[in-house]
Amino acid sequence: MKKISTLLLLLLLTTASCEKDDICPESTPTTPKLILRFYDISNQDDTKNVTSIGVTSLDENGETFVLAGFNGVTTDSISLPLRIQTTAENFTRFTFYKDFALDDNGTPNDPSDDIFSGNPDVITFAYKREDIYVSRACGFKTIFSELIVTVESDGENWIINPLILNRTIENEISAHVKILH
Amino acid sequence: MKSQHMLKYYISTILILLMIFSVKAQNNPDSDQDKSQDSTKFKQKYGLRLGVDVGKIVRTFIDDDYTGLEINADYRYSKNVYIAGELGTEEKTTSTEFLNSTSKGSYFKVGIDYNMYKNWLDMENMIYVGFRVGASTFSQTVNSYTIFNTNHEFPEATITESIDFNGLTAIWSELILGIKAEVFTNLFVGLNIQLKGRITETEPDNFENVYIPGFGRTYDSGSFGVGFGYSISYLIPLYKKEK
Repeated sequence: MKKISTLLLLLLLTTASCEKDDICPESTPTTPKLILRFYDISNQDDTKNVTSIGVTSLDENGETFVLAGFNGVTTDSISLPLRIQTTAENFTRFTFYKDFALDDNGTPNDPSDDIFSGNPDVITFAYKREDIYVSRACGFKTIFSELIVTVESDGENWIINPLILNRTIENEISAHVKILH
Repeated sequence: MKSQHMLKYYISTILILLMIFSVKAQNNPDSDQDKSQDSTKFKQKYGLRLGVDVGKIVRTFIDDDYTGLEINADYRYSKNVYIAGELGTEEKTTSTEFLNSTSKGSYFKVGIDYNMYKNWLDMENMIYVGFRVGASTFSQTVNSYTIFNTNHEFPEATITESIDFNGLTAIWSELILGIKAEVFTNLFVGLNIQLKGRITETEPDNFENVYIPGFGRTYDSGSFGVGFGYSISYLIPLYKKEK
């Protein structure tokens, strides 16, 4: 009797304590970023670094912000987050600066009076959104499909031609867009 | 959430203590009865025992995310074997940081209980193992979700259009360990723990069965589940038979 009631109590305690295992593991692939690779316009099979690239976009209040990690890096490959909107229209507009430099006007903590210099090109990614169930802890992720890329022509574009390699963005394994410059 | 867990502990601890005491108290027969044991044949009651799961009723009142009711019955087939079953309905809302969903449906379970406890005299307490097969029909609704995104430079998107998954079913088996003690004539209180394993289930498209009425919550790691029952039941004696 005693043994069995102890066993019951133990079982109760163990089962009651393992109820919350609901943390989404960091290793789980969730909403993917858009991956862009920069290639040489004169030799289109070769990647080519963009010197000091800066990427800005608009936040929900319409304020310009510099995306983390893109304030003047020299690289041939970047990955960018896409905006997820609940409306039918889904797009993200970035400004890509070549030879980017940031003048914070002596106020590093106040981004509102920052001045950007370089050659800006406005690039827009439009897409459809599809939500995919991942797990109870992670919930849903979004994948993007039917990607369309447009570059506003401003007379001195450094981006010559964006080529879409994969219209569907469902993972971060390979580049989705090839940019010739 | 924490206070509910605490309450669960308290209720289960109190119930366990109650039952241990009541079984123990009846374990010490006075000497008069002891002497008479040789000459008296003790008869045991056979009949239909009907009850409810008190745990589910209590939880319905204290947990805003839960509504449930379960009636249970067993019929004594032989000295140690009872044919047993449960019939119930549950509605449970499960919410995490990113996902809020509701499962709703009804279920039944049938099987047997085997009494392992040797009773003194004419007592009919039970320490038993049971086996059940359970089946549930239910629906699930995704009430809202926030798309999981490790990047927070753009605002989070929360979708509040609900998505319904109807006509879901699940079948599982259950191993039960429990005790039942007669606290007043024909009135029993019981406590049991259920270990469950899903046999089949309908998987909703682009979602999963987060909670199955009767089975309980599911785990990512496998098809196992656990459950508790706190029952109060009444025995309708039909006939008596010698021990």
